[in-house]
Amino acid sequence: MWTTKTFLKKRKGSVLKIVREHYLRDDIWCGSDICTICAHQNEELVLEKNPQPKNKKFPFPHYIVLDTCVVLNQINVLEEDALCNVIVVQTVLEEVKHRSSSVYKRLLDIVGNPNRKFYVFVNEHHKDTYVEREPGEKVNDRNDRAIRVSVAWYESHLMSSQADRRKRDRVKVILLTDDVDSKQKAENEGLHVATISDYVRNVEDCPGLEDRLSQHNTTYELQAGGREPLFPAHFTPSQIHQGIKSGKLLQGSFLASRENFLEGQVNVEGQDKMILVQGRVGLNRAVDGDIVAVKLLPEEEWSVPSHMVLQDEGDDSEDVLEEENAILKSKDERVAKLPTGHIVGIIRRKWRQYCGILQKNPIEGSVRHIFVPAERKVPKVRIETQQADILSSQRIIVTIDSWPRNSRYPLGHFVRALGTIGDKDTENEVLLLEHDVPHSKFSEAVLSCLPKLPWVITEKDVQSRVDLRHVDICSVDPPGCTDIDDALHCKELENGNYDVGVHIADVSHFIRPGTAIDKEAALRATTVYLVDKRIDMVPELLSSNLCSLRGNEERFAFSCIWELTSEAEIVSTRFCKSIIRSRQAMTYEEAQIKIDDLTQNDTLSKSLRGLNSLAKILKKRRIENGALVLASPEIRFQVDSETQDPIEVEAKKLRETNSMVEEFMLLANIYVAIKILEDFPECAMLRRHPKLPVSNFEPFIKAGRNLGFEINSESGKALALSLDNAVRPDNAYFNTMLRILATRCMMQAVYFASGMVQRDEFFHYGLAAPVYTHFTSPIRRYADVIVHRLLAVSIGADVTYPDLLDKRKSHSLCHNLNYRNRMAQYAGRASVALHTHLFFRGKVQDEQGYVLCVRKNALQILIPKYGLEGTLYVSPHKGAKQNVTFVYSEEKQTQKCGDVIFRPFDPVTVQLSLDRSNVQHEKIVLKLVHPQIPGFSVPSLSSVKRKESDENLQEEMEISEVSVSPPIEKISTKKQKVK
Amino acid sequence: MARMDLISFKGLRLDGRRANELRQIRCKMGVFSQPDGSAYLEQGNTKVLAAVYGPHEIRGSRSKALHDKALVNCQYSMATFSTGERKRRPRGDRKSQEMSMHLRQAFQAAIRVEVYPRSQIDIFVEVLQADGGNYCACVNAATLALVDAGIPMTEYVVACTASLANGDVPLVDVSNLEENSGGPNLTVAALPLSGQVALMEMSQRFHLDHLPKVVECALQGCRDIHQILDQAVRRHTEMSGSALGWGNRAQVDL
Amino acid sequence: MTQNVHIRLASQRIDNTIVGTSEVPRLYTPGEIITCRSGFMRGHGTYMEEDALTASVAGVVEQVNKLISVRPIKNRYNGEIGDVVVGRITEVQQKRWKVDTNSRLDSVLLLSSVNLPGGELRRRGTEDEQMMRKYLQEGDLISAEVQKIYDDGSLSLYTRSLKYGKLCQGVLVKVFPSLVKRRKTHFHNLPCGASMILGNNGFIWICPTVSEDEENGLGGFTENLLEVVPRTDREVIARLRNCILALANCKMMLCDTSILYAFEESQKYEVLELLRPEPMLDVCVLTQQRLYMQEDE
Repeated sequence: MWTTKTFLKKRKGSVLKIVREHYLRDDIWCGSDICTICAHQNEELVLEKNPQPKNKKFPFPHYIVLDTCVVLNQINVLEEDALCNVIVVQTVLEEVKHRSSSVYKRLLDIVGNPNRKFYVFVNEHHKDTYVEREPGEKVNDRNDRAIRVSVAWYESHLMSSQADRRKRDRVKVILLTDDVDSKQKAENEGLHVATISDYVRNVEDCPGLEDRLSQHNTTYELQAGGREPLFPAHFTPSQIHQGIKSGKLLQGSFLASRENFLEGQVNVEGQDKMILVQGRVGLNRAVDGDIVAVKLLPEEEWSVPSHMVLQDEGDDSEDVLEEENAILKSKDERVAKLPTGHIVGIIRRKWRQYCGILQKNPIEGSVRHIFVPAERKVPKVRIETQQADILSSQRIIVTIDSWPRNSRYPLGHFVRALGTIGDKDTENEVLLLEHDVPHSKFSEAVLSCLPKLPWVITEKDVQSRVDLRHVDICSVDPPGCTDIDDALHCKELENGNYDVGVHIADVSHFIRPGTAIDKEAALRATTVYLVDKRIDMVPELLSSNLCSLRGNEERFAFSCIWELTSEAEIVSTRFCKSIIRSRQAMTYEEAQIKIDDLTQNDTLSKSLRGLNSLAKILKKRRIENGALVLASPEIRFQVDSETQDPIEVEAKKLRETNSMVEEFMLLANIYVAIKILEDFPECAMLRRHPKLPVSNFEPFIKAGRNLGFEINSESGKALALSLDNAVRPDNAYFNTMLRILATRCMMQAVYFASGMVQRDEFFHYGLAAPVYTHFTSPIRRYADVIVHRLLAVSIGADVTYPDLLDKRKSHSLCHNLNYRNRMAQYAGRASVALHTHLFFRGKVQDEQGYVLCVRKNALQILIPKYGLEGTLYVSPHKGAKQNVTFVYSEEKQTQKCGDVIFRPFDPVTVQLSLDRSNVQHEKIVLKLVHPQIPGFSVPSLSSVKRKESDENLQEEMEISEVSVSPPIEKISTKKQKVK
Repeated sequence: MARMDLISFKGLRLDGRRANELRQIRCKMGVFSQPDGSAYLEQGNTKVLAAVYGPHEIRGSRSKALHDKALVNCQYSMATFSTGERKRRPRGDRKSQEMSMHLRQAFQAAIRVEVYPRSQIDIFVEVLQADGGNYCACVNAATLALVDAGIPMTEYVVACTASLANGDVPLVDVSNLEENSGGPNLTVAALPLSGQVALMEMSQRFHLDHLPKVVECALQGCRDIHQILDQAVRRHTEMSGSALGWGNRAQVDL
Repeated sequence: MTQNVHIRLASQRIDNTIVGTSEVPRLYTPGEIITCRSGFMRGHGTYMEEDALTASVAGVVEQVNKLISVRPIKNRYNGEIGDVVVGRITEVQQKRWKVDTNSRLDSVLLLSSVNLPGGELRRRGTEDEQMMRKYLQEGDLISAEVQKIYDDGSLSLYTRSLKYGKLCQGVLVKVFPSLVKRRKTHFHNLPCGASMILGNNGFIWICPTVSEDEENGLGGFTENLLEVVPRTDREVIARLRNCILALANCKMMLCDTSILYAFEESQKYEVLELLRPEPMLDVCVLTQQRLYMQEDE
């Protein structure tokens, strides 16, 4: 039962001997229903008594044992239901875990599925199958031997239980391995053995399984014959290891450029400047996200990012080299060069599954096709499939298997189809998948955590909470909002002060830690708002009913109550769990009317006016402290109620009441942050907005300077001031554009656990607050739920639980929250883009726009009306002829054509239309209308009237609203109604 | 770095034990002739020697003598070769001093010190190989040595560690590898028959929700170890007693 | 000089316990309840825990009327009046010596309990107090008898008999006190040519036999370090020592007979060989057989 393992480890030149215990057991069962020897528990009987033989090559009942390489390479095949009764030995499991955590996770999912009948056999701790490494034997060889020993053990173990069976009914064990050597040895030992492809090709009644076979380098190389390698070879892992150790190579994550497929950057940890990589050789088969090893070039070979927008449109390798040369030649000597390097090796691939479409091989009947991913950062993938005809009109998911040196594109295989291209549901699905938004229906386990209806407030609840039902509370939200998570009240006290309360839905009352609903919410992290859809973080019963602070309904709330003087100085603060009854759920507009209409003198109106005046003081004070007012183009769609297609786009209006609600939410968040930080200095969940290095502002300052405005980014306050002063009377939109640009320079605000970050980095730059958190939207943000729990503990209203106080757990939770938030934001933007495209289908329109920035071969144009940003190419497209030439000046940031000069922020008129020639990426095409440049601009469309919407239709229309929020803090007021 | 799973989904730990299984314990009493009592104990790869001298007249300054009970003096030391990297100071460093104090605390609770006023009992333990749970192995070995020396104790003092895997599964008798993987560790020295706890120490904070089950796990470990030690004591006593011919004195069986 | 050093792996060591034939009595271990019935008195190695008499050491229960005690196999020496002990002076105090007798507290030898040179009827004055270190100093060995037991458990010794006194020119062997069998006499002049004092406290003194007449009148504090003990005597003493250690190692009771038997059985080995475990075990086994045979007779 007992043996020891001895390792020798070398560290810092000295040899370290590590001895570990390794227990061998006699209570590890085989997991087969046939077995009469092992003392199985019922649930351990995974492998069937009579497995169906479904393989032409092996027409007898059998179990399968997998080799490590098979699992790593063919996980997609394994995920198909076709293979059952599989034994996964622990040696394989450990190796897989070691080599690829994602495959390991997927393998565990398969094992966890009872229908698949995968059994994990812990051979390493079984007394009969443990294999000691022989002197001189390589680890891999030992592992292969261990697998074979297990196969042999199974064979003899099962045989002893089925001696009474007929010979051809006896269950055999087949080893699937792609390792030639191991296969040979297994054959010599008299085991049944096959390669995976051999086995899969012979599986009956499962067409398409073969498509999912991963493509190996070997097969491709054979087919490609003597083709020249296109890429330099990667370094071996040990070379990379040594290179990094000696400092010759750098390790970092590769970020492909969205605009130029032959360019990317490597983010090396600990260096503030990214390393530029250019060209096919420089990129050397790195795919976006991979952890790579880079070799820095000598300084004289450093380069600058080409300002070209370049998409991979070629189908084969021939024409690429020209483009590449074009990029490399176009180096501009005058501009500061960036550190440039070549990728010499891949440390870890971060390949995932990619959405995209199939680009059919023009040769009829060929099985080899090109897959074009939706994400432009990802290269095209070569796949093999028999079902090209069906798939070519669908969105499909593909995964990359390998990228041999002589293949221009990586090799991959088909995983599954999503639906027809252009279909809105399919496109939404793509959007959610690409942004990794969990959007499946809530599971039964989650739904079972919901309270039973009818939900009533019990006597016990009343006792443990402060009863605020007598207070005149109201909520102010956008129209059609169903998840109301905040409400307010304001009351003048006898001493002239104000009693002001912010009441937040008490979601943590319903979502208890550790339950299925809690885990699901933590995973989802946020509610995702698409234009026509809302992906809830918590089930609708909570989000739109029990937690939503609807008018005239008694609801649980978490209240934050202050006493404020009329100058908005805070006298006292208290927090309590409460029961409230909102008098009215108002829209911003209704509230605004109530405030403005001085004839209304009911308590609600008075209270709103009180809030409004206090909010103004608070806002003023906040801005004086250096809080930034930033802008981003926000629009809303008016959507056809029937088809959900957008009919009209309009920019969002902001009212005084928006800002009023916002101010009090900020106030609550700040005070809660102070409170939880005080009580939980190690594990408070806070939100910070890092101040960014001045260098990030450089292009922005340069653009300002060109127009005669000095922008000071030294501090938040200085920035705010200089932004305020930058006004041009001739261009009303100028200031807004500056703010948009400033916003883009900013870093993202992030959640963090207070114990993991230095105290002086807690600062929230955008809001100029020393500490900040999210407390006010627990229905749609998980961070708020955690903050609620912390605050509840801190006021003694609830008890803690272990994970809440574990700063490492909080840290990893923050990580997920930040990731999901970012993704949700991107998904929201992508959804807007999708709807913009839908809106422009079949439309051509002239619109007023502004030059946002000037690129080498294009102008970025912002069209405020649609919040849309587009590219106006000024240099001719490859192959096309153009008789006007533009002259680009990098110094002045201008494009000049004849006597027309384009500078940033210049107004232009452009014609918008949708280019649907590429089904994958429908794009908005901009054409210049004004200023006119003969031979380049197009005539105005003034004669062609835009179709107006029908009056009747307008009334029936459901209004749906969405916004693209800026990356910094703004109390979100975006909600929408979903039918 | 991805943290290791301390327990696989098949319910086995890194070294092949289940969550509630102790490491293999092997022990021997009376390994030296010079001290009054001695014992050698292996708990997995943790190997410990213990020697007990006394009770005897207080050596050194007599002022340390306690008029109503015996003085218990403990010394914990680790052999220079006991750890992966050679130790500089085998004893007297802060950690050893702390361990010595903890040992003393545990044994003062169990030895019937009031029987021996003005005397001194010395307990020396030496870790020969450290592989997690050093303190426990020392306590268990010292208990055997005390029994060997015929020093009266209310009962055995038994120590065991416990930790928490994957956030909710308590692990008993934690090995070095598991100790280092970062989870909180709980060490309990207990008098298992009466269920009293002589010493409890944790390396990190446990949440109150987890603590009871981890403590229970450690106590169960103590009870299991107690069984093993008791058997060893009986075997040893039987062997040496029968060689002595039981001293040819009157025996009773109540 | 070459030295014979034998270091063995743990796995190669031999088990040196000899299993006796006697039936194994009921054993109690610390914390085990002996009886819950009332009416017993608790003796050594027991304590009362909520009306239950509980063992505090591992060993066999002994009952003397109502008194119940548990005797451990091994412990420190518990003196009884009249015991012969061998001890070592640890300290010289005013009017008394402190003696290490392997008991839990050092024993006391009062100045008044010794025979001083010059006869029994001498008055002891301050002069003698100052001269105490002359008679016995730290590290000296004595033989004595237990005269009295103090309240705290420490022993008072006396040497006022010619049998007792300072010991020199010999070898001290320490064994566990419980290994020494209580006998009428603990002074033995062995036929093999050496004398032996089997102290009840586990200290055993072996020295060359001194003829009766020489001894006469000396009983006290003279040291004769000048006299050279012949090699044959020293060999006998060394062999005896090794035999005693061998027996102790096998946990066999020590008395003149068993030691003598072992001495005789050991003749086939060199003295040096007796330090190795196999000969030790062999000697013990043979000795035990002879003891059984003797018993049977």
